[in-house]
Amino acid sequence: MQRFRTVVAAVTLAVAAAASLTACGDDADEGASGAKVLKLWHYEGETSAMGVAWDKAIEVFKQEHPGVEVRFERKAFEQIQQNAGMIINSSEGPDVMEYNKGNATAGLLSKQGLLTDLTAEATKRGWDKTLSPSLQTTARYDDKGVMGSGNWYGVPNYGEYVMVYYNKDLFDKNGVKVPTTFDELTAAMDTFVAKGVTPLGTAGAEYPAGQLFYQLALARADRAFVDNYQLYKNPVDFKADPLKYGADTFAEWVKKGYVGKGTASAKAEDMGTAFIAGKTPMIVSGSWWYGRFKAEMKANWDSFLFPGNKLHAGSSGNIWVVPATSKAKDLAYDFIDITMRPEIQALIGNNGGVPVSADPSKITDPKDKKLIENFNAISSTDGLAFYPDWPVPGYYDVLVSGFQGLINQSKSPDQVLDAIAKPYDEGVAEIKRG
Amino acid sequence: MAATDALVTRGDTDPKGRRGPRRRRGDAGYWLYLLPGAVLFALVIGGPLLFTGYLSLTRWSGIGDPTFVGLENYQRLLDDTVFWQSFRNTLAMIVAMVVVPTVVGLVLAAVLFDTIGRRFKPRTANALRAAFYLPQVLPVVVAGIVWGWILRPDGALNGLLDAVGLGALTHDWLGDPDTALPAVMGVMIWVQIGYPVVVFMAALQRVDPELYEAAEIDGAGWARRFRAITLPQIRPETFVVALTCTIAAMKVFGPIYALTRGGPENATNVPSYFAYYTFFKKLQVGYGSAISTVLTLIIVVVALLFIRAQHRAERRDGSA
Repeated sequence: MQRFRTVVAAVTLAVAAAASLTACGDDADEGASGAKVLKLWHYEGETSAMGVAWDKAIEVFKQEHPGVEVRFERKAFEQIQQNAGMIINSSEGPDVMEYNKGNATAGLLSKQGLLTDLTAEATKRGWDKTLSPSLQTTARYDDKGVMGSGNWYGVPNYGEYVMVYYNKDLFDKNGVKVPTTFDELTAAMDTFVAKGVTPLGTAGAEYPAGQLFYQLALARADRAFVDNYQLYKNPVDFKADPLKYGADTFAEWVKKGYVGKGTASAKAEDMGTAFIAGKTPMIVSGSWWYGRFKAEMKANWDSFLFPGNKLHAGSSGNIWVVPATSKAKDLAYDFIDITMRPEIQALIGNNGGVPVSADPSKITDPKDKKLIENFNAISSTDGLAFYPDWPVPGYYDVLVSGFQGLINQSKSPDQVLDAIAKPYDEGVAEIKRG
Repeated sequence: MAATDALVTRGDTDPKGRRGPRRRRGDAGYWLYLLPGAVLFALVIGGPLLFTGYLSLTRWSGIGDPTFVGLENYQRLLDDTVFWQSFRNTLAMIVAMVVVPTVVGLVLAAVLFDTIGRRFKPRTANALRAAFYLPQVLPVVVAGIVWGWILRPDGALNGLLDAVGLGALTHDWLGDPDTALPAVMGVMIWVQIGYPVVVFMAALQRVDPELYEAAEIDGAGWARRFRAITLPQIRPETFVVALTCTIAAMKVFGPIYALTRGGPENATNVPSYFAYYTFFKKLQVGYGSAISTVLTLIIVVVALLFIRAQHRAERRDGSA
């Protein structure tokens, strides 16, 4: 029996020791004020536009804060997406961190009091002037964690938007002119169909189909619709335009052969690689493809904004947040401010990204310049309409499932609208319940 | 073992000579060996299981404090068509991961052992066994991605159909709600088949070869030997295979995640993916926990029924 007690005592001691070690951490070198360490996390690739720009920002920060150590850790997107709440609720979190914008992510953390209110800093440092109203939407959250109003809890410094990419060589070969209106776009697609070419690449198993539907709906939408749909200002009728128009037109495009019927199970990557390989004349997708097409595509290509639309799917990029537990908040604000400076913004632009406040004259590559000019044109006219899956958590899969039904024609537009309306209404009710 | 010995000795010298205390005290020694496993079980399975049960009675987004809502999540489950569809799809998974592999595995194992193993060199049977087992060695997500390539509209299967003049049969196999579930079932049969083959062949190694030889001398054909010798001899392994595969089918997740994410239109959704989606994507932790709890309870009940059936069969065999 004595041995049994010894084993129990040893196990208890080991568990207690492990627990106390976990609780201690290694923060002994950081003071509560006058911090000498800035812990910084983000999840951008080393060679991506933002990765390059933020490396430079860290360098500038070090020059301007001699004696402050920057502890940078590159995290995986999923790692932060799934664990942010737990991480920043502990003493192990960073002082400044890149985080996903939106109600289900930054909104949720702000509602729980886990993020620092940056309103005073935004005014003091002029971020509220640099960022257009539609870019500010993802920076501000109300007390229910709903974006678009309330205090600042994040700062975006790059953007993204959806456009039409086209293969110039295929257009020339088939005698198709670059469309400037919606009618010209459908006429161009008719020409391709008549020649046996499916004009528009898409992917039903991931975001492209939903974004195409949203672009079509936005053709009949105004800012009030976007506010109702994304910010729940008023109830949304899914059986009325613009959503009805979006679903009907999508179904019509499938019937007319503008969109391949066999793309219900295709992934975004399939759509992109088919475009790169010169198999598809056009795709409707986001600015995140830009750098890759520049690097990998052999055929001549270019892009234009979705013809006729004043509103476009797009938003700020992810945001810098300062966890409430940060011990070096002033240093975190300084770092965010550096990333907003013209030289860092230009670096994002010159590496294929979309800076939020870059001077196009500082962008050397004509293609990059066009990307940024188009973004500035949308952003300055309050034309960013966010993404269709944003309103409620888990809506992405609902839309994917719905539009797969339209692509393979197993569902009518009305049935799809019903299928996507119910989870939307339930999700909004859940959010409003708080 | 001094402590245990001492207990046993005290039990032996019980003045009234009762056996009860001796057995109880003797058993206490075994508990010591069970302790590490019990502690691990409590920490890794028991604790989280109880906590999941508690969370299923709350509304919670994963951050902040959960709100206690009683049985609300379970009431919601009863009206949730996706939940019921996911369980219907589980039945299809049981067919694909238990019924077909077990039946085909039995026949394959018997053919490999009784025919190929005896007529050719054992190496041939071993090579074939390894070939059948190969999909089990592949990480299931890798297998899922590769099958995704094969089944996609411009994938290898449609290419093959085109090449042999059956272009009319080409299809978006995973994109059509009518074909997605059968396609996933086909992949799962391919993944699962090696497991029963290997287990049944190992079981056949312990069958006395004289039984087969005697049957053959008596003129029993392959089918007769299979029915009269193979099936009864490897019944315990059949139970094990059926039980483990049924549990695997009920909690299948990886292949669904890699192949279809439950789509199109929930045609391939299963309870574990539905729970994951509700938990991590919709951030409805309470509701996701209710789905997981129901799934766990069903798996436990099914496992108990299997074990009971196995005991009954063993008792019957013992008394026969």
